[in-house]
Amino acid sequence: MIHRLSGPERKASILSAAQGLFARKGLHGVSVDEIARAANVSPAIIYRHFDSKQTLYTAVLEKFAGQRQSYVDTVVNHGTNFEDVLAGMTWVYIENIAKNPDILRIELHSLLEGNPATLAFFQNRWKSFTDYIEFGLNETLPYNIPHREITILSAGLMFQGMVREALIQKCLQPQDRLVDVSLHELSYELVTLFLRSIGINKTHLSRKATIAG
Amino acid sequence: MSDFDSELDASGLNCPLPILRAKKAISALDAGQTLRIIATDPGSVKDFEAFCKQTGNELKSSGEEDGKFVFLIQKAA
Repeated sequence: MIHRLSGPERKASILSAAQGLFARKGLHGVSVDEIARAANVSPAIIYRHFDSKQTLYTAVLEKFAGQRQSYVDTVVNHGTNFEDVLAGMTWVYIENIAKNPDILRIELHSLLEGNPATLAFFQNRWKSFTDYIEFGLNETLPYNIPHREITILSAGLMFQGMVREALIQKCLQPQDRLVDVSLHELSYELVTLFLRSIGINKTHLSRKATIAG
Repeated sequence: MSDFDSELDASGLNCPLPILRAKKAISALDAGQTLRIIATDPGSVKDFEAFCKQTGNELKSSGEEDGKFVFLIQKAA
């Protein structure tokens, strides 16, 4: 007997098929016909649930927004120490991307496509890190270092670049040399390397914070 | 006279900064005193609910004013 999907089930199934295709080919590389074939429905059924391909794409992003990471546990469990909170946040983020690498794939496509709304969506996800680093360094860096402001801004961007590149290597190219490195090790090493580069001794970093989230 | 003891403006900040700054501000309060927090991150609504649940502080109110999110938290005894 064939099980007929309910409306919400059908909508979720279309969303899931669209997510996979957008992740592989980007917004502009996918047609509604292709999504319909992947979801095993007619294009008319797609339009019954979503006005347009753009609406469907936005719905995929909204699904990601609903899965937004919360760093509340990190702050509650690891105090307010800059290094430990950063380590906890990094672990939460890395674990989340490893579970759903489509988020990273769609982010990379969006960088090439240059849609301002989509770019803002992904930049906002990284803002947790860049803002946190900016605030943390503003409080800790001596005021007399040269180019203080640009140093702080660059540090946030450097960390974003490090983490994103490591995730690309780890999650999207599993044949790469990071295949034997666990997510915990990767998270820990990224944070300690970053802290060392900005002059913070890594012995301050609690290993617990890198694995407990 | 205001109906809170301290205020924190976390406008423009994303998680975890509003929570982190609220935690620091609450630690400076006495038990029973209240902190008013203003935030713009829509995720802060769920974040402050979770924060209060985990810390035992009471979320006295949570609402929107002029497009911003406003929370009132009372420090636990």
